Amino acid sequence: MHNHSTRRGTMRTGIRRGRALTLVTAAAAITFVLSACAPSAPEASSGPVEAGNDTLTIATTTDVVNYNPLIGNSRSDYWVTNLMYPHLLSIADDGKKEPQLATEWGYVDELTGYYEIRDDMTWSDGEPVTAEDVAWTMNAVKKDAPSGTFYGQLANFVSAEAVSDTRVEITLASPDTSIVEEIGFWGNVVPQHVFEKAESVATFANNGSDGGWVSAGPYLLTDVQVGQSYSMDRVDEYPLVEGGTPVAAKVVYRVFPDVNTEILALQSGEVDVIANALPPAQVEQLKATDGITVEEVVGLGYAHMTYNMTNPDLAKTEVRQALAHAVDYDAIRTVVLQGQAVSTGSSPLMPVLSDYYDKSIKEYDFDVDKSRELMESAGYTADASGNFPVSFRLIYSLQDSVTSQWAQLVKDSAAEAGITIELQGTERNTYLAQTNDGDYDIYAGNFAIMDDPVTNFTLSYLPGGAINYTLVDDPELNALIAKAAVTADSDEKISIMRDAAKIVHDEVYDNIMYTQNLYFAHSSKWEGFVTKPSELLSIVNPISVASAHKTAAQ
Amino acid sequence: MSRLFFVLPRLGRGVFTIWFAVTVTFLLLRLLPGDPALAVASPNMTEEARAALLTQYGLDQPLIVQYGLYMWQMLQGNFGVSFTQSVPVMDVLLQRLPWTLLLTFTALVITVLVGIPLGVLAASRRGKVLDKIIQVIGVTGQSIFVPSIGVLLLFVFGLSLKWLPIGGAYDTDAYGMDWYGSVARHLILPAVSLMLIQLGSYVLTMRSTLIEALGEDYVTLAKANGLPYRRILWKHALRNALLPTTTLIGLQLGFLVGGAVLTETVFAYPGIGRGIYEAVTQLDFPVLQGAFLLLAITVVVANMLTDIVYGFLDPRVKTS
Repeated sequence: MHNHSTRRGTMRTGIRRGRALTLVTAAAAITFVLSACAPSAPEASSGPVEAGNDTLTIATTTDVVNYNPLIGNSRSDYWVTNLMYPHLLSIADDGKKEPQLATEWGYVDELTGYYEIRDDMTWSDGEPVTAEDVAWTMNAVKKDAPSGTFYGQLANFVSAEAVSDTRVEITLASPDTSIVEEIGFWGNVVPQHVFEKAESVATFANNGSDGGWVSAGPYLLTDVQVGQSYSMDRVDEYPLVEGGTPVAAKVVYRVFPDVNTEILALQSGEVDVIANALPPAQVEQLKATDGITVEEVVGLGYAHMTYNMTNPDLAKTEVRQALAHAVDYDAIRTVVLQGQAVSTGSSPLMPVLSDYYDKSIKEYDFDVDKSRELMESAGYTADASGNFPVSFRLIYSLQDSVTSQWAQLVKDSAAEAGITIELQGTERNTYLAQTNDGDYDIYAGNFAIMDDPVTNFTLSYLPGGAINYTLVDDPELNALIAKAAVTADSDEKISIMRDAAKIVHDEVYDNIMYTQNLYFAHSSKWEGFVTKPSELLSIVNPISVASAHKTAAQ
Repeated sequence: MSRLFFVLPRLGRGVFTIWFAVTVTFLLLRLLPGDPALAVASPNMTEEARAALLTQYGLDQPLIVQYGLYMWQMLQGNFGVSFTQSVPVMDVLLQRLPWTLLLTFTALVITVLVGIPLGVLAASRRGKVLDKIIQVIGVTGQSIFVPSIGVLLLFVFGLSLKWLPIGGAYDTDAYGMDWYGSVARHLILPAVSLMLIQLGSYVLTMRSTLIEALGEDYVTLAKANGLPYRRILWKHALRNALLPTTTLIGLQLGFLVGGAVLTETVFAYPGIGRGIYEAVTQLDFPVLQGAFLLLAITVVVANMLTDIVYGFLDPRVKTS
């Protein structure tokens, strides 16, 4: 019995030893395999030391969906590709276009525009950036119709031609005094020698699978970890930044889909900058946080409501005016926007567009008595409860938390004036479908960038305009917009646009609620950011990112 | 042979489930309001350009033609090209799937490792203070909202104590074996979050089934034979009580993958759940179809494995 027991014990020990040996061997094998699978350290960079060796880590809430700037529409797409593919023009704080790749631009005649471009820019593979690249990009976009914003600017564009190494001329289908600046601002320039290999620029992924990327911006994308990070290395020669070389050696975009996590990452020092605008409720708290700097940037867009004029009630000017006077705009800007928005005077010509802004156009008063009078003059009689026999369905996107909040205030204040508003918040794609189908009485939403008044009015108020959500067709307004589109003299153009804006205001073809100031947070250890209007440019525009550097104390 | 008869019907059922999931996904996506061209095109795009995009995506074909083409391509291993990224769907998904599998299986393992002993402890201390505390933990865990617990954990362990990183699956500057350490550190908080919301089911199921098992005649007989209580508990009662818990593992896996969407969002974890969310907002049908196919396969395989394990735990299952 004793022996038996000992033998069993010996066998168990043997099994244990055998298992242990197997485990150790397996562990060693796994370690070997894992080592082989783990990413290897890159070779040390030999970048210029005077430009600094720091890494600027920027947080964003979304992944890069598309590396082709001619297709990409999301903010992260824009931010990352913008560091590689230059625009001809940028925009200043007063809304005026300013040079980037182009040094001069304008019109040769009514049907011919031109750009003169810099002669000192090169792609990171050594090829020069030429007028051929510019012309080829424009023609390819016109031909292939990619889904990005660029193509939408080419309605009047026929073709582009490089007439010298530094001059591009574009031919127009009809006179259009906005198109040169709009193409220059919205369109990236891509390397012809890379993109022409693709069958179509509308389907070219440009995902680096064919030997990586090529950049004429301050940084070059070198590593993508999907869902996690996008690492970019400095391009040593970038003449658009002071000193000719970007300061930070690397820029890493890290993805934090949840804004709260993103802010925690900034506070903990894991990231240096948050690229997206802060939610209004977070601004004051972050301003008061040690080690965090909050920069203010003017917005180039606005929030608005439009009234569907195919609805017989809303076709009456008095009803639209009654609705406009039944909104407490101050309360919305103070409570929902925490005082971070400014009135445009209920005009689509925002204060940021300083040349166009017309101070004589005043915001609709919040006056429920006036609203009631207007309803009565439109022929409606209130019942015993003070309610008029009308009910309007207001649509908005539930993903837009700010609009979701003020929509409720709009409903409540309209009820005071005896007008019933039924809220219909839906997820974004349903909202887009409803908008496209005109399936609403009142549309509530916002536009991020309305940089050119003539283009904006063309899209918003001309019959068939892509964002004519009022479905308005006013011959007088149409004529003014058409006239402005062919008017080259800027003073005359401004005057025409002010007349047009007055019609939009008085007839309530659009109810502009406010333009929002934007706030961006970064670590106080970094400085030198160069802000530009709008969330797309803000503190992560190419010049800003290339100029940012650690403070002297670091 | 009997084992083959046990496995084959389950395999057939699994294939049918996957086909059903794929078909339902295909139809549901096309019932969604809006269309992919609206979701991705810039607002100033003309109707003609949007129509051209739909043609490019193949969505101008009749539904039955789209379905036939999709099934035919899928049988050939071709899952299509992402509408928004212009790259093969499998390229998109396979970059993300390993992270979701790592997260969900880690969470599953630690949930089982913590949940079963806690359930056993609660059952063995039935009615006592410890039992009540464990029950409260279990019920509370089930009612926690993932983002809330996620942000709380990040605030405490990431920002205040600085013990663990905030977001991501690894440090971008970690290489070689350090990379694995980095992966492990980044995994802790999301896995613990998932564990906390799943724990209650295991604890409460284990507790109730074990209490039932402890009342069985064979337990009374074992006690009468003088077997130590611990041995009765862990060796005899527990094995029988494990059967419903094993079933629960298979059932919960689907929920776990669903819960991973929110967890991946809060912890900035680069898994497939986030990829699905992004594809939904862009109505990227090919990516969504591929993602749901992969998830269906994962859940079906896990359930089949559960069935097989069940058969080993309870031989009656194999012979019935």
